Amino acid sequence: MKTKKRAVRALLALAGVGVILSGCHGNVKQAATTAPHEYLLTVTRPNQLQVIDTQTNSITRSCDVPGYFGAGSIAMSPDGRIAYVLSNKWEDIYGFDITDCKMVFSAKQSSSDVIVKTFFSLAVSPDGKELYTVQNPVRELDDRYEVMQPQLAVFDTTAGLDVQQSRSWPVDRRITKIATMDNGEVVLGGADLKAIDPRTGTVRVISKLQNWERGARWLTPDAFAVSSQGEHVGEYIMAYVTAEFKDDSMNFETADWWWGMSRVDLKSGAVEQMETVPFQFIVFSWVSDPHDSNIIYGAFNTLSKHNIKEKKTLAVTDMDHTYYTINMTSDGSTLYVGGTSSDISVHDPETLKKIGSIQLPGDMSTADMRLVRLQE
Amino acid sequence: MKQISKKSALLIGGFLALAGNSVLYAASQPMSGEQIIQKRCMDCHSETGNPSLPYSRISEQRKTPEGWQMTIQRMVSIHEAKMSADERKQVHKFLSDTQGLAPSETTALRYGLERDGNLLENNDPAYAEMCARCHSGARFGLQRRTEEEWSLLVQFHMGQIPTLELHSLARDRPWFDLAMNQVVPKLAQDYPFESAAWKSWQAADKPTFEHDWAITGYIPGKGDFDALMQVRAKGGDLYGLQVIGQYADGTPLTGSGQAITYTGYEWRASLTLDGIKMRQILAANEQGTRMQGRLFMAEANELGAAMVAQRAAKGDHAVTGVMPSHIRQGARQEITIVGVGLKGTPALGKGLRIVKTLSAGANRIRLLVEAEKDAAVGLRDVAVGKAQAPAALAVYDKVARVDVVPGESVARVGGNGTPIAKAKSAYRAVGYAAGADGKPGTEDDVRLGYMPATWSLKPFDETAKEDNDLKYAGAIDANGVFVPGDAGPNPERKMSTNNVGNLNVVGTVDDAGNKVSGEGHLLVTVQHFVRASVL
Repeated sequence: MKTKKRAVRALLALAGVGVILSGCHGNVKQAATTAPHEYLLTVTRPNQLQVIDTQTNSITRSCDVPGYFGAGSIAMSPDGRIAYVLSNKWEDIYGFDITDCKMVFSAKQSSSDVIVKTFFSLAVSPDGKELYTVQNPVRELDDRYEVMQPQLAVFDTTAGLDVQQSRSWPVDRRITKIATMDNGEVVLGGADLKAIDPRTGTVRVISKLQNWERGARWLTPDAFAVSSQGEHVGEYIMAYVTAEFKDDSMNFETADWWWGMSRVDLKSGAVEQMETVPFQFIVFSWVSDPHDSNIIYGAFNTLSKHNIKEKKTLAVTDMDHTYYTINMTSDGSTLYVGGTSSDISVHDPETLKKIGSIQLPGDMSTADMRLVRLQE
Repeated sequence: MKQISKKSALLIGGFLALAGNSVLYAASQPMSGEQIIQKRCMDCHSETGNPSLPYSRISEQRKTPEGWQMTIQRMVSIHEAKMSADERKQVHKFLSDTQGLAPSETTALRYGLERDGNLLENNDPAYAEMCARCHSGARFGLQRRTEEEWSLLVQFHMGQIPTLELHSLARDRPWFDLAMNQVVPKLAQDYPFESAAWKSWQAADKPTFEHDWAITGYIPGKGDFDALMQVRAKGGDLYGLQVIGQYADGTPLTGSGQAITYTGYEWRASLTLDGIKMRQILAANEQGTRMQGRLFMAEANELGAAMVAQRAAKGDHAVTGVMPSHIRQGARQEITIVGVGLKGTPALGKGLRIVKTLSAGANRIRLLVEAEKDAAVGLRDVAVGKAQAPAALAVYDKVARVDVVPGESVARVGGNGTPIAKAKSAYRAVGYAAGADGKPGTEDDVRLGYMPATWSLKPFDETAKEDNDLKYAGAIDANGVFVPGDAGPNPERKMSTNNVGNLNVVGTVDDAGNKVSGEGHLLVTVQHFVRASVL
């Protein structure tokens, strides 16, 4: 439990981290225009989209995002050019052309009498024409609130600024990360993993979690995702924690505790669910190795590497502070560990050794760290 | 509720004319609490037409004075209710008096009002998993609502704190359905809007407070005291008060302040005692003869202790304290009995002899007392005439056990240029004799009361040791007051963690050369960023 305690401490420590105000566009330079390459995108406080060149590990461009920070979730257009950012206390979405920071899309989800919050749920259709969010609306009446049915909202990304949703479909409560599959369905990361067809609203279960049928010896999993995990290999990962009890007494002390995940191949729609490695320390985000899907990396207070086929931890390294999110280049050459504070730690996937650091002008907090290949 | 409600928008045209009338009205005749509700709250709330529950939302809740204070504060700060400071006070008083809790409805949860956070609750699992994962059990247990109102409270949470949906115990179970279908009916049953106790208290004659009161208490860093508190009515349940007394060692203690009562029994005083700004949050018994609660520092609510006020009206008599509350076999020592209407020869029980009466008054008697060498170990009743205190004085052979209180406690880093001050914690040592079985830690141990102690800290466990919490988390002074470390990430520490720590507080009593120690657990953690009047 020592590690758990350290994790809590690190979280507590962050509560005191001050916001470093950014200079506006201080390090701007033009994006390369010759060869396509990968950019790392994130959002920092007070509210800027940062475009980071993975070749130089430096900030190429900083785009001011309107409104108050929150939550810094990002969804990318398929061509890697437009970044949609969740802003203004989890309510508004702004789309930016990452090559020049031009705002090409905006939508305010709340109205005069309905507050709408989106818990990290942003995704773009495979053809780039539609943006999806999961909305958690609450009606604000004169002297009371009325909790409303969550819904998948569909926006036309070509409609420009101040766009109203074009349609919506009812969905479950408790949905966080979503992603689009190549067949057009949207993966809904809620109590169970479901997929919704945004053309018809038809919902199907693709991986049971809260309602899994593993018997009384297995603890109902606690599945949670704040960051996008797996886009560099076309995956969607929803990680969970569970326990296998020794007997029917359901003794937490003697149970075997496991990390697990439901992993969706967004190209084929194939879904696998498995316990990955024993729970030894907290991991907040996971990604798969592009060269071997049995190898995964995890980040929080540690950066770790695991073989999930053998259910073994291969390597662990302590981090300088807590990091919420992890991503890697699509060629598998570099790991990026970010979130919480104002730096991204760069690591060698082979050794986990720290090979660099990207200093940001403000805290990332819960912001995503998305990887895009810009078709230039 | 909305920043500009529909009703407000409709009324804006007529606002200026109405404002003029309002000023005139206010100048000629102050509005009552109910009139202010009608005038200031009906932009968003509505009149129901039901005389017994006249205002939407407002009329279907009962709360403590602190509960109403939080509600009114929220209405002003978030929902833009327009009320002057005086109007807020009027509404607060009106709602606390007319929609409060009966004395018996608050008894078990008074710590929530007294701002004493150093105790462990044992909440019903249904509440522990839903409400008490963020709040104390007192927060909701000191409210009474109709079932619909409890349901609207759930909806309010999603309106104001929507990310609660992402908590553990929310994201991993159908929390909203559980809250609405299981917890709301339970709350309505356990904490109902209508109750026999409230009906009975509403009908009861309420006590008056304009008396002299004999008070006893403890001020961290200063010590035990006893005093006479003179309370004089100023009208409208407001009182002025003067305090004259002394610490246990005889050092004089004086103070003055003012108080207000709510709901006929809830006493709230602000006073300066010995130069320190302090607050009393007390509850009177239904007869109005005794008030109990907590006295704490206004600028550091965590520093305080239990306080008792005994009415000292004509014919009243009571022993409220015996200091110290223990005497060793064969010892000769001074003992002070404090109380009300102390007339006659004190009786201390078998094996104790009064060598000399050093001074005697109606509120305080100082005695030189000798315990026989073979006086039986155990508790003695103390009586002075009709005034009696059961089990108030202990005779002991030796101190066999020391408990540090509070046994579980929290202190919080602060200061260091940040807006939130350090939250300290204060400790006392309670001595015990082993009792007839000669074994400390068993049921027959004899509680001797608070004893002087020396104080030290040690790491709670191996992790605390490895992280050197002792160096960073803070220090404890000779009075048992722990001062936590500075706020903010500390680059010297692993992962730049704050000056948090997991410590044991060690109190050591020197019992005639025999040193006996006890330990209490102290968590030093981060600031309390959300402060509330009810814990």
